[in-house]
Amino acid sequence: MRFEPTMKQAVIRRTARKYAEEVLAPAAVEMDRTGQFPQDIADEMAELKYFGLEIPPEYGGAGLDPVSYAIVVEEISRANAAMGLCVAVHNGVAAAPMYEFGNQFQRKKFLVPVATGKKIGTFCLSEPNAGSDASAIETTAVRDNKDYILNGNKVFVTNGHVSGTNLIFANTRPGEKKKEYTVFFVESEREGVEKGPLEELMGMRGNPVCPITLHDCRVPEENLLGEQGQGLKIAFATLNGGRIGIAAQALGIAQACLDVSLRYAKERHQFGRSIAQFGAIQKHLADMATQVEAARLLVYRAAGLRDKGLEYGMESAMAKLYASKIAVDAARIGIQIHGAYGYSKSYPIERYYRDAKITEIYEGTSEVQRIVIARSLMER
Amino acid sequence: MNIAVCIKQVPDTPSIRMDRERMTIIRDGVESVINPLDYVALQAALDLRDRKGGEVVVITMGPPQSEEALREAIAAGADRAILVTGAAFSGADTLATSHVLAVAISKLDPFPDLVLCGAHTTDSDTAHVGPQMAEELNLPQICGVNEIHMEEDYLTVKRLSDGFVETLQVSLPALLTVTQELCSVGHLPLGDLQIAFSEREITQWGPEDLGLKEEEVGLRGSATQVWKLSVPPPRREGDLISGSPQTLVDHLIRKLEDLSILDEEDGYKS
Repeated sequence: MRFEPTMKQAVIRRTARKYAEEVLAPAAVEMDRTGQFPQDIADEMAELKYFGLEIPPEYGGAGLDPVSYAIVVEEISRANAAMGLCVAVHNGVAAAPMYEFGNQFQRKKFLVPVATGKKIGTFCLSEPNAGSDASAIETTAVRDNKDYILNGNKVFVTNGHVSGTNLIFANTRPGEKKKEYTVFFVESEREGVEKGPLEELMGMRGNPVCPITLHDCRVPEENLLGEQGQGLKIAFATLNGGRIGIAAQALGIAQACLDVSLRYAKERHQFGRSIAQFGAIQKHLADMATQVEAARLLVYRAAGLRDKGLEYGMESAMAKLYASKIAVDAARIGIQIHGAYGYSKSYPIERYYRDAKITEIYEGTSEVQRIVIARSLMER
Repeated sequence: MNIAVCIKQVPDTPSIRMDRERMTIIRDGVESVINPLDYVALQAALDLRDRKGGEVVVITMGPPQSEEALREAIAAGADRAILVTGAAFSGADTLATSHVLAVAISKLDPFPDLVLCGAHTTDSDTAHVGPQMAEELNLPQICGVNEIHMEEDYLTVKRLSDGFVETLQVSLPALLTVTQELCSVGHLPLGDLQIAFSEREITQWGPEDLGLKEEEVGLRGSATQVWKLSVPPPRREGDLISGSPQTLVDHLIRKLEDLSILDEEDGYKS
């Protein structure tokens, strides 16, 4: 059993951290305040291969292993969770299934622009009446000769406003008793695709989340990902991997909470000494550090299993469940350590609290993660 | 223009801790990074190569794990990398280090037009290795360079000297050591790191490859030895005094008297 990173992983972490600290951290405050996505930074990140992290070089990616991927998402999220979200979703649930389930033609046509960051990807499963229950989707795709006609509403689409290539989950047997789920590549510029206004969200405000509506959107059959009827299989396989990204994101936020809380506790003096000298604060810091380390081991272990080609569905669910919980806890306790300053926008910890909360909700709520874990326990 | 860049792996400065009993630097669990000024030298070499052609070779002498620094240099754009390593090299002072690196450089084919080093390192900070290599290689040397211009077949370089800017011209081949101001270091593309660590070869040279005898290298080849390592005493906190000129003067005189620097009767002590 090895716990040390490889030489490559150590350099990857330093490289991502340097970029995150020098470029992404300074942009985070403004992104949170204005809700504006910094396209110039995204373009630079595309050049540096942050948008094709695990995709092989022949399709324009960086070809990193899953542990390196988790490390990169962690470091980005530590500095700028909204950008961490953009990268985790783009890589984990857009580029990954395009590579895994796409044929050669689709990999060249759709994956290459996504992996090189020329087009931002989305994963459009959620609908007004379908979230945790993916099978409840109402978007339809009706065959018309060699095309499909898509209609429906997708909501809370991460990266939505800046997306170029969207993966749309639709029912290809509308009107029939038993639904059939199928995934389509739908280009944002295609006729019948309409992006709604940006969502006003509590956190992750720099990410351009919006609804995407399809009105009689005609899509050729070459845009069908995998096979007709494979939709749920693709969704679940994708979410298994995607959870590692979200877990790594939560881990990065938790680490950021620990970083600023420790610094503040050492700087802040009350009763003639730094508050870090008080047992009550030390207990908070010790718990926080222990939880961060435990989450890190869970995240890297799930990523390590994926790297070896072993089953990792339960482990990625555990990593996401735990990392998201301790991220919210670390932010909450972090604010407590900061006192009134923690409640103020002059310090970043309140932003971390708002950013952390969603990690317990998206890409499978904590409740759903527990279902996945419990089912795996009973099956194994 | 073919350029050799000498780099060194140093402990990442913020994480350096001392073992206060044994008075040594704790290296366990401390990350090693490319010495920041060596990174500047590498970046400058890459910029020159991109404009003038040729190749950039990075060289380091160190333990096997120094391979990490060389692979990072390859990801940054170096054409090839040489790791000079072997048990006999350990314990080297700056003289033994310069000797080994000079011999390694003289073995390069073709011999480089330019050798670049960081002006000093963040660990031992001697600034010896560059100049000593230049002496051994019999190359003209300019230390602390912050600007390099390639002319026809010579370089015009600038450096700060006693607050003045010195502009110098140097024929090639030459050795320069560089400072932070020379150029900024870019961000590495992650894909290039992946390639550097999975596909590229690192050349390894041991003492035999360089025709070096044991008494020339490592501890035995060193002219100096570290006698003792100690932590400098902590700086005393300064006093901030405020008030009217009269109070300030009174306060200051009292302080100087307390420290026995100023004598009440005789004024200043000699």
